[in-house]
Amino acid sequence: MYCLNEQLKNKIEFVNNLLLNKYEKILSLDKQILRRFIVDKVGSIKKLERMTSKELMKYAELGGILGVDGSRNRLGGAYPHFIEIYQGLARCSIHKDKPVIKADFYTPLGVEENPNMLEDSREEKLKSDKKLADIEVEAALEGIREFNPYAVIMDGSIIRYDIASTDRWMELKNECEERGIILVGVTKDIKTSIIGEELMKDKNISIDVKFHDRELLYGVLEYGEAIFTDIETKKEIAGLESAFLRSSDSPTVVAVDILQSQKEHLEEMARLILTLTPRNGRGVPLWIDIVDSEVKIPDVMIKSLLESYMDRRLLEMLFISERDKRTM
Amino acid sequence: MKVVGITSQHEVYVGTKDRNFRINEFLIIEDPYQGDLMGEVVEANAYNKYIPMNLHGELADSSVLDSLRAIGYNIEEDTIYIARVRLLNEALYPVEAGSDVRIPEFSEVKDIMIRCSVDEGLVLGVIRNTDHMAANMDEEYKNLLYTYENGRLEKQKEIPYIYNVKSMHQYPHIGVFGGSGSGKSFGLRVILEELMNLNIPTVVLDPHFEMDFSKIADYIPKGERLDYSGKFKCLQVGTDVGVRFEDLSIQDLKNLLGASGALTDAMNNVVDILHKKKDSYTSFYNRLKMLSEAQEEGSIDRISKRIEESKTDLERQGWQQRLELYLNYDKSCPYSSVRGIIWRLNRLSNEGIFSKDIREIENGLQNGKLIVVQGSTRILQVFSTYLINNLYHKRREYKDAQYRREACDYFPPFIIVTDEAHNFAPKAYECPSKAILKEISQEGRKYGVFLILATQRPTLLDETITAQLNTKFIFRTVRSSDIATIKEETDITVEEARRLPYLRTGDVFISEAAMGRTIYARIRAANTTSPHTENPFDELKGKIEEDENKFMDIIKDKLPINGDDFINVIKEIEAETGITYTIDAFEEKLEDLVEKGLLVKQKTPFFNVYKEK
Repeated sequence: MYCLNEQLKNKIEFVNNLLLNKYEKILSLDKQILRRFIVDKVGSIKKLERMTSKELMKYAELGGILGVDGSRNRLGGAYPHFIEIYQGLARCSIHKDKPVIKADFYTPLGVEENPNMLEDSREEKLKSDKKLADIEVEAALEGIREFNPYAVIMDGSIIRYDIASTDRWMELKNECEERGIILVGVTKDIKTSIIGEELMKDKNISIDVKFHDRELLYGVLEYGEAIFTDIETKKEIAGLESAFLRSSDSPTVVAVDILQSQKEHLEEMARLILTLTPRNGRGVPLWIDIVDSEVKIPDVMIKSLLESYMDRRLLEMLFISERDKRTM
Repeated sequence: MKVVGITSQHEVYVGTKDRNFRINEFLIIEDPYQGDLMGEVVEANAYNKYIPMNLHGELADSSVLDSLRAIGYNIEEDTIYIARVRLLNEALYPVEAGSDVRIPEFSEVKDIMIRCSVDEGLVLGVIRNTDHMAANMDEEYKNLLYTYENGRLEKQKEIPYIYNVKSMHQYPHIGVFGGSGSGKSFGLRVILEELMNLNIPTVVLDPHFEMDFSKIADYIPKGERLDYSGKFKCLQVGTDVGVRFEDLSIQDLKNLLGASGALTDAMNNVVDILHKKKDSYTSFYNRLKMLSEAQEEGSIDRISKRIEESKTDLERQGWQQRLELYLNYDKSCPYSSVRGIIWRLNRLSNEGIFSKDIREIENGLQNGKLIVVQGSTRILQVFSTYLINNLYHKRREYKDAQYRREACDYFPPFIIVTDEAHNFAPKAYECPSKAILKEISQEGRKYGVFLILATQRPTLLDETITAQLNTKFIFRTVRSSDIATIKEETDITVEEARRLPYLRTGDVFISEAAMGRTIYARIRAANTTSPHTENPFDELKGKIEEDENKFMDIIKDKLPINGDDFINVIKEIEAETGITYTIDAFEEKLEDLVEKGLLVKQKTPFFNVYKEK
């Protein structure tokens, strides 16, 4: 039995009260009031229907749907003694036997070291993100060149590709626009606060804290409902259009991003995503889950890969942290 | 197909994306170091990583799977198939993971599947899940039989299971176990048909009156029907066969009497005292009868008086004999016990047991026939004791004489078959037939006398005998105590034991000591059918319809029948057919036909008129 430290318990209670205080307002906010506010100030709420198999069949004829996802494994300890392995996968629904796989790595040891150690961790995060974004975009690029699909669904918000991997992203975006391939991203972890900002602006509702959309939309939409925003958001400035969608019985929503130039396909893509998502699931399309499970490599596998193909001395010296050797 | 995962010397996992595995299927593992290894699938699984069984999480519902299929992705193609394969012979080293696996050719499995030629063995069925290998099977093994599956006759697609009857010399006796409706009786029928094909002398104890082979199964195609009528004989105890009283030992006699009602110690004593060697039924019966009559008189004086009063010499002689018996036996044989024995003896005699002998059975065996001895369980129990003892000792005498190089009449080796064997050799209590069956189970091999014992309760069968059954046919068994017995007595594996309650009718595990492993087989379609196959409810319906049709035929030309004219119609019918009806019964029958819609009733002010429809 663990003996809980009294102080720890108190701290947790403190956190709970803190959060309760902050969220009291939205917790007490009536669902109908919020829905009305969204319709008035943000955009329309629309009930979407699942696609029929006839409609879906059309996609198979037009080249299928390309699913893209990436994975990142990290082995080792603190900076700079670690190595990260990235893998990107693009899989077309009608060419299931020919997946496009891209792989890359990153370790701070391979490059010249930054003299300023304090900035390292941030820099390192950026580099890591870039590598991952690069590899996903590359997989997507090769996927569309090889399969010429009807649409590309990427796991995660596509805005992050714009931020982390600008050059390649522009290449992918231009190519999709030129060839008329629809490019969408599906995000489970919504970090925007489009509605939150509008709420703050509103004088009638006295909310002075900026809440995230994820928090505000929790349980507000019904299954199959989507919000198409009318106002100009940060995403739109980056050339993207987006919608929120409750794609399963789970009360959280997902965000669907699409290129500004392909805006007219947003509703269609939202419906596609709704159709491909198990109703009792987490809200992520099964197709993305399949690609995700395929691209993910277990840590054990990475370790045995490194053990097999790397000099044992180097591996022990550089990447096996003391923490890994602990047995308790 | 490849070997996957951790392997051992005797078990490996085989995985593939292309085909599903079947249990009991044979596979060859091409180990690069140890050469080809043969294995049998003992467990088969299929798994799709995208459709996990997750009680708490999400489950891809069918509409989503359909949607995926519509956009061109068939998730079912990601199913992988895994089989647990047990090697037939243990390897020297663990099997190399990643070894290729393939389906064997017939020539590679021939030796382990087929142990004897078609002409010399019992072709009992097919070995399940061997159709892949059966394709390039030698011609002689093809089209030997039909199987009956899902209500249809199927051509033979798999490797035949041929029981090597000669192996009984080393591995004697067969057990046939299975619950009711499991196909046990059919299995027994097929075994008997095959024994007849080989003209092996066989005695069948048939308490169910079902082992009749004269009715050819109508599902067997015309040209391929076999006629067994010359090869078997049904004999009923009491009608066709019986006991020769003179041949009975005292113990046999007591067993027989005990079969009509348990004997008390006093009764046993009466038989011991009163039965003399070489007694015929009449001499023994008379002795009993006279003693009882003397005892009814009650005293020496009264019997003496009877002697004096006798009008004829014969009568006087009779009473003198009675007096003698009275003097000798009255003290040791109480009247009630004597009466008891008389009563039991009468009962046996009325059943006809003492009026026949077993010569017909002996002759049949000499001619290589299958003899079916029918009777109630009770009477068979006793008769079989006498019969088997007799036959076994005849065979034994012949063999012993042969060893001693003496001359003796030939008596052939034979097989004894019985259903409900737990009645003849029960575990818990002593029973006359048990001793002889036990003796044969232990020594019969030496003399060429073998047992085929069928029972639905192996747990109730005598353990010494069960242990001697070297081959066991195990049909569906549901009772856990029986499954436990089977597990103990055979080399059946845990997985196979788990499948026992779910076996389909006619599917059987064959555990053969000669093979050293269990075979999963299906019994072939029998060439003949049991006389009891008609459903009793169908029979009832048929009978009623038959009666109606008969009555319709009789009254057809009398129609229309007027309600005031019954008496004349009945008279006419009686004159024509000899069948008499009462007026009430006749009217009731007509009403019945009206109800069934075969006649129409028209009401008039005076009477009803029955008309044709």
